[in-house]
Amino acid sequence: MSKYSFHIAAFVLLVVSVIMLCAAGRSAFIPAAGGTSVTGVVKFKGTAARPTRIDMSADPYCAKAHPSGATTEDVLTDANGDLENVVVFISDGLGTTTFPIPDEPAVMEQKGCQYKPHVLAMRAGQKLKVVNSDSTTHNIHPMPNNNREWNVSQPPGTPLEQVFAREEIAISVKCNIHPWMRSYIAVLKNPYFAITDKSGGFEIKDLSPGTYTLQAWHEKLGSKMQKITVGEGAPQSVEFVFQ
Amino acid sequence: MIKGRSVALALLVTWLISSSLFSFAQESKIADLSGNAKAGKALYRRYCITCHGVHGDGAGENAPHVDPKPRDFTKATFKCRSTPSGDLPTDSDLYDTISRGIYNSAMPSWRPLTRQQRADLVAYIKTFSPRFHEEPPVASIVIPPEPPTSAESVKRGEALFQSLNCWSCHGKEGRANGPSALTLTDSKGYPILPFDFTKAPHFKCGETPRDVFKDLSTGLDGTPMPSFADSMKPDQIWDVVHYIQTFAESDRSFFHRAKSEGKLQ
Amino acid sequence: MGFARKWQWFVLLLILGVLGPSVRVFAIPAFARKYNLRCSDCHEAWPKLNNFGQTFKDNGYQLMTGRDAPIYQQASYFPIMFRSMPLWHRESNNRVAVDIVPGNPAAGQAESRITTSGFDITGLDIWTAGTLYKNISFAVEPAISNSGTVFLLNYFVRFDNLLNSRWLNLKVGKFELDNLISEQRELTLSATGGFYQNYHFTPIGDRTSFGLGDNQLGAELMGHSINSYTRYSISVLNSNDGQLSSATNSYDLYADFSQGFEIPRLGLQRVGAYSYVGERPTFFDTSNGAPITGTGMGNRSFSRTGVYGLWYMGKFDLSTFYMHGQDNVFLGNGVRADQPMNLPPGAAGPTWNGGFVEAHYTYNPQLIFFGRGETVLMSRQANPAIRKDLGDVRVWTVGYRWYPIMSSRAGLAWHQEYAIGRTVGTAPLTGRDDVTNSFLMGFDFDF
Repeated sequence: MSKYSFHIAAFVLLVVSVIMLCAAGRSAFIPAAGGTSVTGVVKFKGTAARPTRIDMSADPYCAKAHPSGATTEDVLTDANGDLENVVVFISDGLGTTTFPIPDEPAVMEQKGCQYKPHVLAMRAGQKLKVVNSDSTTHNIHPMPNNNREWNVSQPPGTPLEQVFAREEIAISVKCNIHPWMRSYIAVLKNPYFAITDKSGGFEIKDLSPGTYTLQAWHEKLGSKMQKITVGEGAPQSVEFVFQ
Repeated sequence: MIKGRSVALALLVTWLISSSLFSFAQESKIADLSGNAKAGKALYRRYCITCHGVHGDGAGENAPHVDPKPRDFTKATFKCRSTPSGDLPTDSDLYDTISRGIYNSAMPSWRPLTRQQRADLVAYIKTFSPRFHEEPPVASIVIPPEPPTSAESVKRGEALFQSLNCWSCHGKEGRANGPSALTLTDSKGYPILPFDFTKAPHFKCGETPRDVFKDLSTGLDGTPMPSFADSMKPDQIWDVVHYIQTFAESDRSFFHRAKSEGKLQ
Repeated sequence: MGFARKWQWFVLLLILGVLGPSVRVFAIPAFARKYNLRCSDCHEAWPKLNNFGQTFKDNGYQLMTGRDAPIYQQASYFPIMFRSMPLWHRESNNRVAVDIVPGNPAAGQAESRITTSGFDITGLDIWTAGTLYKNISFAVEPAISNSGTVFLLNYFVRFDNLLNSRWLNLKVGKFELDNLISEQRELTLSATGGFYQNYHFTPIGDRTSFGLGDNQLGAELMGHSINSYTRYSISVLNSNDGQLSSATNSYDLYADFSQGFEIPRLGLQRVGAYSYVGERPTFFDTSNGAPITGTGMGNRSFSRTGVYGLWYMGKFDLSTFYMHGQDNVFLGNGVRADQPMNLPPGAAGPTWNGGFVEAHYTYNPQLIFFGRGETVLMSRQANPAIRKDLGDVRVWTVGYRWYPIMSSRAGLAWHQEYAIGRTVGTAPLTGRDDVTNSFLMGFDFDF
């Protein structure tokens, strides 16, 4: 053995350790508060079909809950062409990072024989709490492609909790008793998501600088993607247009 | 002197027999039976492939001509289970479904196959979905003994049938003509009808009262029929079973002689 | 003695030449079409049934899933199918009486080997069977031989699951006896190997017209367990071997029972026993010398009794069969029962024992190899002056079937088969052994 072999070995070991630590450090990355936000708006161009009236006469309780009638919620726009209920999320650029799962459950409520919210976004592995606030029995039946399918009857006030283990955008949910009821649950691996409000606006907070793919998903109009670069400081503003 | 020809023949026969017997790895367990997926594969090719497809995805060559559609094993979502909704069936559940068949569908009863053959098929079917490796096996629900039926039990069952909205699909007289009946679709999107209770006891997942209890408790995954395990206590489920039995109009068929599950081969 | 032998030889040739490469159908794509199941679901290798198909048949061609009655079918569905087989074959017989000078019988005869070959077709089997209604099934099969003769092979109605019990099924009409080793669903098709010798054997000089494999006319009560492991049948048949348009004044009885059991890792095994007891008239009333049908007199009895087994060991299986046959002395010698003085000295009722072992190797649902060794050995001749083993038969058959398509709409099999058979002492001139062999290959269509 040459007299330098030990030093060479030590140096190599050091370099390897540094590389591994960096990689490991990347995997255990926890976003620091105070990162950049991405805000934006999702718009709809063209004439959307007007929401149609739902016939709830099959269940007298439901009909009574909507004396002036209820309407479908699949494409909700306003006069300015803002699109509501779009799930906007980071679909690429976060690498293999895993994020801690929040303890509080995501909540889906059955009220007035409709799902509230109409579109819910939550984390894979996070608890889903289903609440029946009506005085009629509902049947909560998500129909996933990438998760276990379950189907449970829920009388008024009965508690129910389930978990979706895998990412899926999005799982449609129906009630077999009340066929007009429909909602969507987007299950995401990362915490960088938001759902557009009535004005089509969204904000995704605490993103670290980097290049990402931002995706917008709508239950009827499909998906759109954009590449964004997030720098230090100023919030990024993005617009999606669906047709 | 033994002729060389006879020896050769005996060796050939021994080789043929032994090469067609399969290894003894256990991949399914039903009572005293151990099933082997390699043996099940040959049986699947003979008996099942035409509907359930080469890949077990329910897209066999005859699937377009069949209603209801054949089960897609890759999703591991099964109707007839003894486990809670969303969970995998037990090996016995799959074995029982294969043995019974599903009445009023294209799935025949495979009882003419030997018990070993059915166990081997169960082992092979489990290979179509990774869930059978990934998820831990789930225990069957506990079914308490059936209390005797009575007018009070039937009345309680009727009240539950009303409050739990069973009538919205099954209809007030159980004739599958409730207001939601024609809107129903299975989880693949195909139209599906609720069960017409006047056709009892030909329930899809077994004909005995215990089988009907299981249907109510575990639900029929992949169909609109939900699990009522969180909505009813076991006594209440028995009440609904007793109420449902009052709908039956068909004559006692010889299927009804099935004594209790497990006793039928 | 010489005449009797010639007569027997002629009958044998008649059977070989006419029925020879004939196919009797029992593989029914109409069922496959109705239920969307492939041939391989019911047949190990069609036409041989597996236990699922046997149970379907026992149920009255019903799967018992609630959709068996014809009202569940599309209105355009009609349960009809055809089977036929274009083939090439070669037949050879080592001892045929041939004129020494062709065209000049006065010059005398000698025994010579005759070999013929060429393309041919089997007859056409047209088969319609299924359910008329829930628990009422039927089958009608007019078969057309390759010489154009039409004959009704099967024609029955069956009332299934009487009193809601699968132990009571009543079949009336013309039908095959309840043989689990069915000749109508056999895998062998050649002139020499294409039928079970035991199912048709009649000793030399014997006038009993009967074959266990012939379709009979009568009524059958049959029952089975839910998976057809236990089966029984009792039949009352005309005493005329299923001849249509002819009356009979006596009846035969047939009974069969079998029990299946599972040996773990090997498969389903089955053992069974059967007995056919019947009688035949030895003379008739006549009018202008011609016998009047239905007036048979001097009836004497005969029987065929035995055991069989079906043994499965993975892909390999054996069918084993044993028969003990005996005919009354008058039947065996062809003598009227009211003329016992015409019996030869020391006459006795002929008895014989026969059996076969048939082996199959089902490599997969689309390839099966088969081989059979069969023998019938006389144990007592009707006339003690005849040599003891006259008429003994030994036949070896081997072959395979390959099914290039396996669907639920139609079937096709490529069939190759070789068979060689020896009958003791029946050569027409020298009384030596008669050896025939057949080679057959062809396409068996079923649609």
